[in-house]
Amino acid sequence: MLHLRPENLLVQKTLTEAWNASKAGSPLTLDRVISDFDYTTLHVSNSPDDKSILWLSIRTKAWQSVVKCGGDFAGYLKSKYNGFHAVSECSPEQGYDFTVQVKLDELDADAIVQLSLMKIHIMSYPFQLAFDEFARLSQLPEGSNASDTVHQIQYRDDENIFIKPSSDRITVIFETFFQDETDKVFGKVFLQEFVDARKRNRNIQSAPQVLFSHEPPLEAASLMAARSADKNRRFITFVLFPRHFQTPELQFSSVCHLSLFRNYFHYHIKCSKAYMHSRMRYRVDTFIKVLNRAKVDDEEEAGEQTTRRTITGRKLVY
Amino acid sequence: MSQSLRPYLTAVRFSLQAALNLTNFSSQVVERHNRPEVEVSNTSAELKLQPMHVSRNEHEQVLIEPSVNSVRVSIKVKQADEIEQILVHKFTRFLEQRAESFYVLRRVPIDGFSISFLITNKHTETMKTEKLVDFIIEFMEEVDKEISEMKLFLNARARFVAEAYLGEFVY
Amino acid sequence: MSYLNNPAIVMDNGTGLTKLGFAGNDSPSWVFPTAIATAQRSTTKQGGSGSGAGQSQGSGNPYFGNSTSATSFNSLASAALLSNNLAGKRGTEDLDFYIGNEALAASQGPSYSLSYPIRHGQVENWDHMERFWENSIFKYLRTEPEDHFFLLTEPPLNPPENREQVAEIFFESFNCAGLYIAVQAVLALAASWTSSKVVDRSLTGTVIDSGDGVTHVIPVAEGYVIGSAIKNIPIAGRDITLFIQSLLRERGEEDTTLRTAERIKQEYCYVCSDIVKEFNKFDRDPQKFAQFIVENSEKTKRKVIDVGYERFLAPEIFFNPEIASSDFLTPLPTVVDQTIQACPIDVRKGLYNNIVLSGGSTMFKDFGRRLQRDLKGIVNNRIALSEHLSGTKSTGVDVQVISHRRQRNAVWFGGSLLAQTAEFKSYCHTKQDYEEIGPEIVRNFSLFNMV
Repeated sequence: MLHLRPENLLVQKTLTEAWNASKAGSPLTLDRVISDFDYTTLHVSNSPDDKSILWLSIRTKAWQSVVKCGGDFAGYLKSKYNGFHAVSECSPEQGYDFTVQVKLDELDADAIVQLSLMKIHIMSYPFQLAFDEFARLSQLPEGSNASDTVHQIQYRDDENIFIKPSSDRITVIFETFFQDETDKVFGKVFLQEFVDARKRNRNIQSAPQVLFSHEPPLEAASLMAARSADKNRRFITFVLFPRHFQTPELQFSSVCHLSLFRNYFHYHIKCSKAYMHSRMRYRVDTFIKVLNRAKVDDEEEAGEQTTRRTITGRKLVY
Repeated sequence: MSQSLRPYLTAVRFSLQAALNLTNFSSQVVERHNRPEVEVSNTSAELKLQPMHVSRNEHEQVLIEPSVNSVRVSIKVKQADEIEQILVHKFTRFLEQRAESFYVLRRVPIDGFSISFLITNKHTETMKTEKLVDFIIEFMEEVDKEISEMKLFLNARARFVAEAYLGEFVY
Repeated sequence: MSYLNNPAIVMDNGTGLTKLGFAGNDSPSWVFPTAIATAQRSTTKQGGSGSGAGQSQGSGNPYFGNSTSATSFNSLASAALLSNNLAGKRGTEDLDFYIGNEALAASQGPSYSLSYPIRHGQVENWDHMERFWENSIFKYLRTEPEDHFFLLTEPPLNPPENREQVAEIFFESFNCAGLYIAVQAVLALAASWTSSKVVDRSLTGTVIDSGDGVTHVIPVAEGYVIGSAIKNIPIAGRDITLFIQSLLRERGEEDTTLRTAERIKQEYCYVCSDIVKEFNKFDRDPQKFAQFIVENSEKTKRKVIDVGYERFLAPEIFFNPEIASSDFLTPLPTVVDQTIQACPIDVRKGLYNNIVLSGGSTMFKDFGRRLQRDLKGIVNNRIALSEHLSGTKSTGVDVQVISHRRQRNAVWFGGSLLAQTAEFKSYCHTKQDYEEIGPEIVRNFSLFNMV
């Protein structure tokens, strides 16, 4: 598996099972927890009085900071599910941020896919704001089109995404932090390659420009000022040009990839470590083979020197 | 193979061959004990020989500490940068974790070295000394190669992953 | 740290099936074969194929090549190639694989080969297992292992070195937040606490774990497996299926595939109290005969299969093995009795008192009741004999077989039950512990005290 998919496979499977069971006339009783990256938990349960209605709730770390971005977030989320009769918003379940009610009778495959993308939809809101802001700024005349809006998504305890729209580009800054020493070193190698990849390979010239620094970039500096400088902090900046978000489809795909950047990146660090483990296992085997060559065979030994034995056949040891 | 590696390995080989002249020797201190004298500090200094230090450069050194019934060989593996440091550390730890099947591997390296071997008279009795020396030499060659290959792999993988990710943005 | 809110992950990797899920759920989220399909290092060139991570090319053979270079990444030329061509390159074969049902599907094609990393309950191929876990975590469970605690299972008598290998993988490759490794039998005992018959939540009992390949009888005293007394029976789910198949063939039914036999086993079989009586019942009451309808995939043709005596005869091979096999003739209740008799005398009462079923092949109706009755018979005979010989009165032994609704995935469910408790995390070894002490830390785990 090279790429992480944006949709949550388990949500899809659970909903599809519930849907099929409901069609077959024997609705499932569900009360399941499902998880997603970055402190995201989803909960699928039956409505207490009607088994043909499911509740799907989500709780995610990013929620609070996304709400803080302002604007009509609730309306935005609602618009994502407007097209589906089966899905309607309801008041959030206790302990969760957002809940939708799913009527199994009216469910269809498209709706299931959209439901499994719920986390991406939440993460995409600040991006959408930035896209809108960009559209506004680019209409304004040169000189008066500067903006100091920076959207912040705090998607993990110590890690943030900063999104800054301006009149000709959108800058997305990831703040990362490694807890593990090995990951830190591996991460450095990987990040350096992200920076160099575009320069080196002609085929991906049109990809966003990537920058990497230890200091907070100017765009995010104002938000970072309060925090003490930490040596382990890294900043990766993606510069999105208009060609990356011209149409809603492109916007969606860019957002999907960006919001999975950290997971993708950590996933591959882990894969490399796993691969190194298998190399090392192979190495251990070859070393042991070499070492075993040094061993003196028992028969050979017996031929070379006569061992003295007791009457019961045990070897005499001096 | 670079110019200075061959003489370095040859020096280690001859030093090892000279050092691996072991005999069964019971402890002088504890009755019915037979312990590798090189591991016992402060007692019976007459049983230890002068340690030999073979050094190619600052980063690549071998310390051979012979004694009457055991030899301790410690190897410092080249670690040019942060990545190699981590890789060497990971690799030697991985090996030490499996020390059981390596017979002569010490579970903990001595200070200042990456990995240590402890060869006792028991080992030289059940294994051919010549082949044991071969093993150590091959080990030294292979470790360097493995570390640099892993480093290359890491870079190549990082490059591949980065390109694959950014490739997704090419419309 | 906020990973405290994340549900722990429970993984039960068995020889045949892997169960994955989150603590607190009532059933595993994923159940699929413990199989991995890896890319075959073929020389066929598949430029730009969209499947997986790209096809291996050339003769670069990372594991079995010459001894000096273990990968194809030793030449600058190949690295240069990498930059030029995104799809299809060397050195990424380790990303190109499928697990579970997808592996079964992929292995139908020419470019993947299937393997089962677990044999007889123990991990045989660590390379494959590591990648199996990698995919389980990132693709199927979608979790960042750094944020979650893990509960893994191991078979009884698993060597501690294997535990260390597991810890090495989970802490070093995946950086998981915390790890607990539990013995399957102990989890099966914990799963039985949901049954209304269980009152004291003790970790003493006999576990009968019957899967597809083999049936184990495992005595557990206060959370520790009594290894010397474990007994295996070579009769399990697959043997029952084969027995049904042979009966169908003898009668000359229209469809005698293994799949049909398996469906019949799952849907119609039950355990009777007495075979002779049951035969008579069938003869008197034709209603007992069932019919099983096989439809082919297009639902155009239907085959009707009669289901007769095999309804009760098939599970009977646990109790009268001679009807199906000629080399293993000890009935299950006798084996259970022998197992318990091989244990220290002071725990035997507890073992008789709490016999717990686990695994798919114990799901037959009335299986537990029959086992309890037969075992009681054996025990009572022995008590009567000893009373007769010694002339003293015995206080009697209470035999109780517990079956419950979670039997099929009992091990996983037990894990889910334990891992959702607030104390669970204090029993785990954390990444910090591992870094401080090393892999040997996982040799010991404290037991759950759930009283």
